[in-house]
Amino acid sequence: MESKQDPVAAGKGSFDLFNLSSRWASAWAESSSAAKTDEEEPSYLNTFNSSGMFQMVSMDKMSVQYVGSPQHFYDVGAVQANCPAPTRRIAYYFEMTVKNAGQKGQIAIGFTTKEFNLRRKPGWEANSCGYHGDDGYLYHGQEKGEPFGPKYTSDDTVGAGINYSTQEFFFTKNGELVGTVCKDIKGLLYPTIAVHGTNEEVTVNFGKQPYRFDIEVFILKEKLKQEELIDKLTLSPNVSHWIVRSYLLHYGYQDTVNSFDVESGIMSPHIPTPQENGFHEQGDAYELSNRKILRQFIMNGDIDSVFRSLHEWHPQIMQIDTSVICFLLHSQRFIEYIRAGQLMEAVKYARAELSKFFTIKPLDDLLEDVIALLAYEDPSKSCVGHLLHSGQREFVADAVNAMVLATSPGSKRTEDWAFSRLEKLLKQLTQCSLERRALYGEQGEVFDVHKVVHTRRSIV
Amino acid sequence: MYHFWMIPSQFESIEAMISALSISVQSTSKKVITREEWEKKLKDVKIRKEDMNKLVMNFLVTEGYVDAAEKFRIESGTEPELNLATIADRMAVKRAVQSGNVQDAIEKVIHLNPEILNTNPHLYFHLQQQKLIELIRYGKVEEALEFAQEELAPRGEENQNFLEELERTVALLAFEDVKNCPFGELLDLSQRLKTASEVNAAILTSQSHEKDPKLPRLLKMLIWIQNQLDEKAAYPRINDLTTAALEEPAI
Repeated sequence: MESKQDPVAAGKGSFDLFNLSSRWASAWAESSSAAKTDEEEPSYLNTFNSSGMFQMVSMDKMSVQYVGSPQHFYDVGAVQANCPAPTRRIAYYFEMTVKNAGQKGQIAIGFTTKEFNLRRKPGWEANSCGYHGDDGYLYHGQEKGEPFGPKYTSDDTVGAGINYSTQEFFFTKNGELVGTVCKDIKGLLYPTIAVHGTNEEVTVNFGKQPYRFDIEVFILKEKLKQEELIDKLTLSPNVSHWIVRSYLLHYGYQDTVNSFDVESGIMSPHIPTPQENGFHEQGDAYELSNRKILRQFIMNGDIDSVFRSLHEWHPQIMQIDTSVICFLLHSQRFIEYIRAGQLMEAVKYARAELSKFFTIKPLDDLLEDVIALLAYEDPSKSCVGHLLHSGQREFVADAVNAMVLATSPGSKRTEDWAFSRLEKLLKQLTQCSLERRALYGEQGEVFDVHKVVHTRRSIV
Repeated sequence: MYHFWMIPSQFESIEAMISALSISVQSTSKKVITREEWEKKLKDVKIRKEDMNKLVMNFLVTEGYVDAAEKFRIESGTEPELNLATIADRMAVKRAVQSGNVQDAIEKVIHLNPEILNTNPHLYFHLQQQKLIELIRYGKVEEALEFAQEELAPRGEENQNFLEELERTVALLAFEDVKNCPFGELLDLSQRLKTASEVNAAILTSQSHEKDPKLPRLLKMLIWIQNQLDEKAAYPRINDLTTAALEEPAI
């Protein structure tokens, strides 16, 4: 039995399980509330910030009509949406239908930044882009545009969108894609429409009605493009096999590993055995039996056996009785009393073993949740009911598992034993995705492991 | 008016300076993230244990590790997404193909779900082709010829690709030393594995289950996203997926 220096083990314990305890708080918060903070989406036209007298916005704020007659190029009636296009998705899209093209059809659709001069058509000024109906040209920051697509007039429905994957604007007419252009405008962009002729009138659609253009298919195609690129990549042979095996060893799922090895031998004879592979997994298999036994105790709610075993095998883990691991185990013991309906025992136990944690931040908040179980006749239906689920037992089992791995003589860095390889890979995947989005001005989607696990693939 | 004249050689050296400067500006425009900063950010990323368990179960089930899936269910409390009994059936088919008992495999597939072969002509052809390969492997020339003419040639007539593959397979008969002839790789274990994998996928699809495990796809995503991020940042990468070790950012 290795004897570790107490400060090292204790230092490791309180430092890393601190992270586990923050996981405790967040794991349940996540599952109870909606996934992400939803971005606001444009839903109506901004009448407040408009160019005044020469255009009129309807009562429902979804239509614009030009009043009077235009005199020059600085009395355009342009209107922006009430908020900018959301960015945390693959693409954003909206449409406009021309109710009345007037005499010249000097209508435009596009995107502009917040400071845009609304007496100008989108595209005529820097940091704006617009597809104009009178000439079918695309204007991209100056008064001179370039041929782009067909003109459009009364009863036509045109759409404008931003493709965050390719960083392009795209425009449609009557359900067909007209074209794309590179988006080099940074920052938030407002859906913008404009009229510039007597009686010209347009109505906008921000999604309440079905779009003429099949935006869903468009987005799906983008996703598939990316998926195809990813599919083409090759992995070194059997890498998944080893990662799964390593995972099973890391968490102490001993019976599963044994079956896995036997079945691999039969069904996948081309995969070398762990011994042949020379794959260094000594660290993962450290104290496999003990960890398996401990996990079983915890999943069966037998915390007393856990205390006993730990004192016998790794007394140093429980050395500091105000450490996070002690807190977790004592809380779980308390929870097991509640589960068994033994309230008086629970109270006694809390007084003896839990009260000392009230002075330790951030454990005091977690402790409050735990003790609160006493307050309910049917605690499983309360807001702290999740503590009675097997998920909480698993959380404690994982913590104990990590503490035992920490006693391994080979592990120097906390990162070595705290997380399985699979977890490290998934964290890296998530973090790289977040970082990439940040570098692209917070635009586009982020890989969500949870979503991937729970969604069926779009292509067969 | 002041005219500023430059001697041509001076002009050239200034041009060289400007292009050197712009190159150095480009190479330092990548954001550098130190290991310490990166590890700090990683700490804030939460992956749910439940999701990881599901990924592992999905792997075991899709690849057909029945016993392991059952044990994992008990040890981790994760529910398998498929009825474990159906996995056993599927694995029996896969094993039959892997050991060269193609007729047995075909019968098992029909028994499992006759529609599978009807809706997968490519699969059916490849199974037949594998059967032909096995006959050739064991030197059963007459049987092979009969089988090729009766069963496979009609299929070859329907489809150009089938015809080409059929011809490659029949060509094996022209060689004494079959293993070392131009199409010898058809006799490799890898060909059996390919066919076995195709059968596995078809059965899974017929059971409305995804034919590939999710884990390899996530690993490919990791490779892809790191390649993408490389364009804009220098940061600690994971280059060896099996160790999942972070490497120092290359500056």
